[in-house]
Amino acid sequence: VSPEASSAQRLNGAVGMAVFLGACAMLFAALLFAYAVVRAQAVAWPPPGTPPFPRAAAASNGLLLIAAGFALRRARGHGPKWAAVSLGLGALFLLMQAGLWGRLVAGHLGPGTGALGDVFFALSAFHALHVLGGLVAIALLLRPRASADARPRRLRLATLYMDFVVAVWLIIYVAVCVA
Amino acid sequence: VTAPDAPPHPAAPPQTPTPSPSPSPSWLGRVFSTDHKVIGKQFLFLGLAFLAVGGVMAMLIRWQLARPGQPVPLVGRLLFPGAGGVISPAAYTSLFTMHGTIMIFFAVTPILIGGFGNFCVPLLIGTRDMAFPRLNMLSFWTMAAATATLTASFFVPLGAAASGWTAYATLSTAIGAPGAGQTMWTVAIYFNGVSTVMGAINYITTVVRLRAPGMSWFRLPLTVWGFFLTSILNALFVPVIAAAMVLLFFDRIFGTQFFIAGSTIRAGGDPILYQHMFWLFGHPEVYILILPAWGIVSDLLSFFARKPAFGYRVTVWSLIGVVVLSCVVYGHHMFTTGMSPLLGESFMVLTMIISVPTSLLFLNWLGTLWRGAARMRTPMLFCVGLVFTFGIGGLTGLYLADIVADQYLHDTYFVVGHFHLIMAAALLLASFAAVYFWFPKMFGRMMSEGLGKLHFWPTFLALNVVFGGQLLIGWAGMQRRLYDPSAYEFLAHLLPWNVWISRAAYVLGAAQLVFVLNFFVSLRWGKPAPANPWEVGTLEWTLPSPPPHHNFDVIPTVVRGPHELGSPDALARGKDWLGQDEVLP
Repeated sequence: VSPEASSAQRLNGAVGMAVFLGACAMLFAALLFAYAVVRAQAVAWPPPGTPPFPRAAAASNGLLLIAAGFALRRARGHGPKWAAVSLGLGALFLLMQAGLWGRLVAGHLGPGTGALGDVFFALSAFHALHVLGGLVAIALLLRPRASADARPRRLRLATLYMDFVVAVWLIIYVAVCVA
Repeated sequence: VTAPDAPPHPAAPPQTPTPSPSPSPSWLGRVFSTDHKVIGKQFLFLGLAFLAVGGVMAMLIRWQLARPGQPVPLVGRLLFPGAGGVISPAAYTSLFTMHGTIMIFFAVTPILIGGFGNFCVPLLIGTRDMAFPRLNMLSFWTMAAATATLTASFFVPLGAAASGWTAYATLSTAIGAPGAGQTMWTVAIYFNGVSTVMGAINYITTVVRLRAPGMSWFRLPLTVWGFFLTSILNALFVPVIAAAMVLLFFDRIFGTQFFIAGSTIRAGGDPILYQHMFWLFGHPEVYILILPAWGIVSDLLSFFARKPAFGYRVTVWSLIGVVVLSCVVYGHHMFTTGMSPLLGESFMVLTMIISVPTSLLFLNWLGTLWRGAARMRTPMLFCVGLVFTFGIGGLTGLYLADIVADQYLHDTYFVVGHFHLIMAAALLLASFAAVYFWFPKMFGRMMSEGLGKLHFWPTFLALNVVFGGQLLIGWAGMQRRLYDPSAYEFLAHLLPWNVWISRAAYVLGAAQLVFVLNFFVSLRWGKPAPANPWEVGTLEWTLPSPPPHHNFDVIPTVVRGPHELGSPDALARGKDWLGQDEVLP
């Protein structure tokens, strides 16, 4: 592959990823807009009778995802084993999120129990699906049969995407769990 | 229009990837093709098939409105065996819901954006394929999966969705629609959106990055502008309806209450929130659908009037103006939800402002036609028909943009007539114009001109009677979505009107059989098409019909705009057009 063709492909990927992330941003912005409307119409927030939200658990899960994002950034300079680390941390994040949902359901904060439970479950579950998509992308570029030429380019794009889901998580955490 | 001797603009770095290998002849390789031309045809066939399904549904709806409660002739006992061939109120509600859903999301979107977008964009900008061919293939198969889900929903207990194509909460929540049909509708719309966004990513990247050398932004055919701008709106606003579908899905499956009003016991959501999310997407969607049609018609009017498009730059800036304004007008769908009068007034003014760029566009069409040496071939007939119906459709929109008039007209057949003149009539006419125009390039054969004209005249006349009649009965006060309007004393006198509208609708339906005949007969036995049957200058017509797998052996260098018709340079060469890449000695 000639250097011009590879640089053209990199730019194509960057433009495509920018459009894709713009679309994803609109998706989460619309979900947050729905949350804002629900919250603005509530008499008090959290609604009276809502059990306390386990912020610490949500925060520690978030740290796992942030670590996964950093590991993937490191993979760009320090070899694909860091991508594998990122994959592991991301998978752990999903497991811990599933555990958190179980705990919330048991503690009457699950979906269908009240506005706060609804909002957190809908936003975090949909976010988790997007994290899962990112992990699939990382797994694909780590396949032994994957083209070695394309790997740096794909890694760049995966990093951009993982940075995006980390940023979305931070926004969800601050908007729903803290505020 | 760029002067023919202007130096080529440095548009994009030259893209000369090696031609991809020819498609594998295997059955699997053809079905799961990454060639934009094959994917475009796949989208076209999918869309045309569902256009037929949605059209049959329209005939059934018209039967019920003209002969309320009488058994449907011929197919009634087959379609509605439980009711002795009569359309029941529940079946009727489901019919108009699925008619709208199928026409908008599964017929017009695949035909224009999926079909012609895919086929035209790489050919017209001078490249060998989309920027992401595999994503393109995935886009089609995601659409196919969404279509399968929607089709399957007809066969579940309680039947397909019945909450209107807008699926307003609470009609669409588990309270209003307990059956699985509505859930499957929600999933199908979500994946339809995923497919559309994949397409948008491809179209935007392809137009930004892969234009042939010299193909500057203001040398792009207006067709490409239409698809490009539509893709921007798709990328921005389809995710908003996707978010609404996610929340609706959670409401239905997990018992959340985003779209169910709160009670004193628990804080909840708001059914009006659904309407905001739906129309935040829904109004741009109107322009998402019409922008490709505008682009195609702007090009074709010039090609067949044998004149450069009048005010090319003004047209482009008008299209961009419409795109920007379309983001901030959606509230005009919600004047009757009790929104603040101040907010309503802002939406009214913004909506009326959108008629300024639209009028410029319209005037440019007239300017293109003015004193042209028109060749009234079939594609041109459909384009001129569009100019007429879009004119009426656009003007009636001004009534609905006015808050006071809308209080009366909201949810009447006036609205139905208005949006059908644009979403059905204008889009259908543009789609047919595109089929007749690009069929030779797609399939290598000409369609029959005689059958084309036989298709056009009844279609054009009947659709104006149908949708014009709907404007009139709406003005007279007939609401939409009523099972049997004649049951109400104040609407009973409109029954004869409905009978005549329905008769025109049957003519409209029957006229489409001429198209089906023409399409399949031409596909098999049509006259072999030359490379450039219409004698126009855009890049796809420099290729053989149909083009080879890799499109261009050598990526062309573009030296002029797309509408160089009737220029003295051309006339000196004994023809009246110049190719976009034609270098004059």
